[in-house]
Amino acid sequence: MADVQANQETYTVPSPMPSPVMPFLMDVSFNWEPITSEFFEAIKELKLGELLHDDLFGLFEAMSAIEMMDPKMDAGMLCNRGREHYAYSKAIELKILKWEEVSLKEQIGIMDTTWSCVVTWLDGHSLAQTVFTNLYLHKPHRLGDRSLKAFCVAIYKLIDLIKDFVARGLVFEEEDFQPMVYGYRLNPDVPEVRSIAMLKEVEDELNRKKRQLVDEPELEQDLNAVIARIRFIKLMLQAFFGLSKKDINPNSVAECTKLLSLCSDLIPVLISSSSRSCPPHYVSEIHGPVMVGFDPLVNQRLLPPTFPRYTHIKTPSEAYKRLDELFGRIRQVSKVCSLTSFHAALELMLEVSSSKPCIVSRSIMQLLFLPQCSRAGDTINFIDAIRDAARTFISPPVLMPRSGLLSNPQAKEYLECFLGHCVRPFSNLIQLCGHNRARQREKLAHLLEDFANLQDEAERVDAFLHSLSKKCENARPHLACFGTWVLYHTLRVMIMFLLSGFELELYSTHEYHYIFWYLYEFLYGWLISSLSRADSFLTEQENLNDANRKQRRNKSKTKKKVRPYAREIMLNQALQNMCGGYYKAMVAFKKDRKIPLPHPEFDCEQVRYDHRFAPFINVLLTPPPVQYNEFREMTTALEQSDSRDLYNTGCKHFHQARSILETIHNPDQEVNDLLRIAKTNFIVLKLLGTGHKHDSNSPPDFDFSLHHHFPIIKI
Amino acid sequence: MSISEGQLNTTENHSQIPGSFGKMKLQSWLNKSLKVDMSDGRVLIGSFLCTDRDANLILGSCTEYINPKVCGFNEEPRILGLVMVPGRHIVSIHLDNSQGISNDDTLAKKTMDAT
Repeated sequence: MADVQANQETYTVPSPMPSPVMPFLMDVSFNWEPITSEFFEAIKELKLGELLHDDLFGLFEAMSAIEMMDPKMDAGMLCNRGREHYAYSKAIELKILKWEEVSLKEQIGIMDTTWSCVVTWLDGHSLAQTVFTNLYLHKPHRLGDRSLKAFCVAIYKLIDLIKDFVARGLVFEEEDFQPMVYGYRLNPDVPEVRSIAMLKEVEDELNRKKRQLVDEPELEQDLNAVIARIRFIKLMLQAFFGLSKKDINPNSVAECTKLLSLCSDLIPVLISSSSRSCPPHYVSEIHGPVMVGFDPLVNQRLLPPTFPRYTHIKTPSEAYKRLDELFGRIRQVSKVCSLTSFHAALELMLEVSSSKPCIVSRSIMQLLFLPQCSRAGDTINFIDAIRDAARTFISPPVLMPRSGLLSNPQAKEYLECFLGHCVRPFSNLIQLCGHNRARQREKLAHLLEDFANLQDEAERVDAFLHSLSKKCENARPHLACFGTWVLYHTLRVMIMFLLSGFELELYSTHEYHYIFWYLYEFLYGWLISSLSRADSFLTEQENLNDANRKQRRNKSKTKKKVRPYAREIMLNQALQNMCGGYYKAMVAFKKDRKIPLPHPEFDCEQVRYDHRFAPFINVLLTPPPVQYNEFREMTTALEQSDSRDLYNTGCKHFHQARSILETIHNPDQEVNDLLRIAKTNFIVLKLLGTGHKHDSNSPPDFDFSLHHHFPIIKI
Repeated sequence: MSISEGQLNTTENHSQIPGSFGKMKLQSWLNKSLKVDMSDGRVLIGSFLCTDRDANLILGSCTEYINPKVCGFNEEPRILGLVMVPGRHIVSIHLDNSQGISNDDTLAKKTMDAT
């Protein structure tokens, strides 16, 4: 403690910004001449709407001006100032801010409000408008109250850790996170261990105090509330420290998740005891209740003039619930480091990503998968991971142990080169899972370019190895092994790209038919065939292994035939059928004029089609992109048929999907949801097929509440 | 003041009614520093860029000053950048007619000297 106090003067937070005086104003004296009446006289000559300006200045520039005296834009307006804002030291002087003997109830209030601010910051607001509205955080080391001081220092540490996660995770965008610290020094020179020890000391001290209490139930409950809060931040800090270590291993991650579980256990206590806090200092019209020690406008002048004026700070109970959710997500993403296979990790990350996690859990997920986070430095490990991934996917003969193919130096070189080229697209795919959902779409489009090149190379490597393997004895053909593997991923990226349009609500209903058509007619079909191919390759290899084993050990072991991709194939078949059902239903809706169409004068389906499939059309060779004229050729025949027939065939598709989904063993939540969607749509289309509501022109409704991508049709 | 004369000439060509005196006056003030007192006691200093019939004023590179006599407290000036002041909030306007002090002018002179 002594070293901390000795240095306390050096912890002062520097004045966050130099005083904003324009340089040329400083040494210049003006000679002001009043022109008010002249000016108001002169403008009378202007016509209504006429602007007087220089050649270089136009209406466009004028649009970006901030409007003075508009309470939403003008931060300097009196109503936005309210009252004078005291700097920390002045507030102490005037005894507005207590810095010693802060009562327990006030401490509860300050801690709870600080958490509210932290959670609001994590929602993408600026630190200046959230956490640093807490005046105690401006100079935590000057605080005389030990528990509040330990808490404030720990908050600094936590913010610093979170910022570090996000900065190293490299998956944030400006809409996710505000890294600006406005000149506050986040890292007061207290080592991490010391910060935790401070909390520990305070916890012990408070516990001692509690034991000395005699028959003071109110005070005891307040003490319990403060102790719980200190304990909570201590556990959280320990967990985050653990996760931030550079040399992280599954054991230490397990330790951290245990700590986070303990944090989660404390949440109900914190929520129930937050009612013990002192009442707010005052209630502001704009900012709502303001806790003692907080000033929502203290940093107003640090913000750019056009900054959003007010930040809605969450309530403490909401904040604690959000923290609980965060701990849950971190526990989920931390499973990623116990996964050894690339595909399993990718699946987990895709699954996590579809639940739209927050930036902290997304960043931690990235860091846990690639702990060094220098993605280049980790290339060697990553090549091994990719080699394993390709081997488990389709077991290419060249990657099998004792493969004769590798004795050929050229084959070896080609293989290494190909695997090296795999690193970037695949690590991009991993990184993409960390980005927010809207950004994922644009990144998927770029990723397709990389995969197109990779596909080309994979096919050439396959061809070379195949020609080589023909010369070898007793070798399996090497036809399209890597090709199939890359194709599988390309198709998944394509499907993700198209489906993300539904999730982001980019498509109009009149566009649905060709999106579903593309998915139904091509992507899912190709995906299934690539999986079946991999399946048969693996079985072939398995048989070969068995044969070898039998030869060597002469021991017959009847192994159960497993088709490793059976489940994935079935799921994709179901999805293909559902897309078919949607497609046919959409065509029928169009025929029945149930879908509002854009005005024909402004509509060109081809332009829309080309735009929607642009990333496929411009870059891909394999799988071949389907052009608009091909789409027209293939679909005109179907569009001639009667709408009732279309409903009925769509209905059959959903029926098919349903029966496939029902045969999947151990259905997870997604399969169950899809099953419900398929069943409902089956009934709806069946009704429509009988001519129900045939005459009504009211458009059908597409309800995406059950699944991001596959809607329930409602009529 | 050669620059502002030049401006006057060029803008004259563009103005629709060349004889209009008020407009010429406004044109001559363009890009000069104005000091605008606002109804809430703040003072804005920036270069005059644009106006219209309702005296809505656009000032570039604008700085906001607090008049402590009116507002009751003092603060450092603040840079606002491009600002539109609605005409109804303007209390008074002052023009800076001190000669040759604007950075642009001195810069222009220096470059002229150099060549």
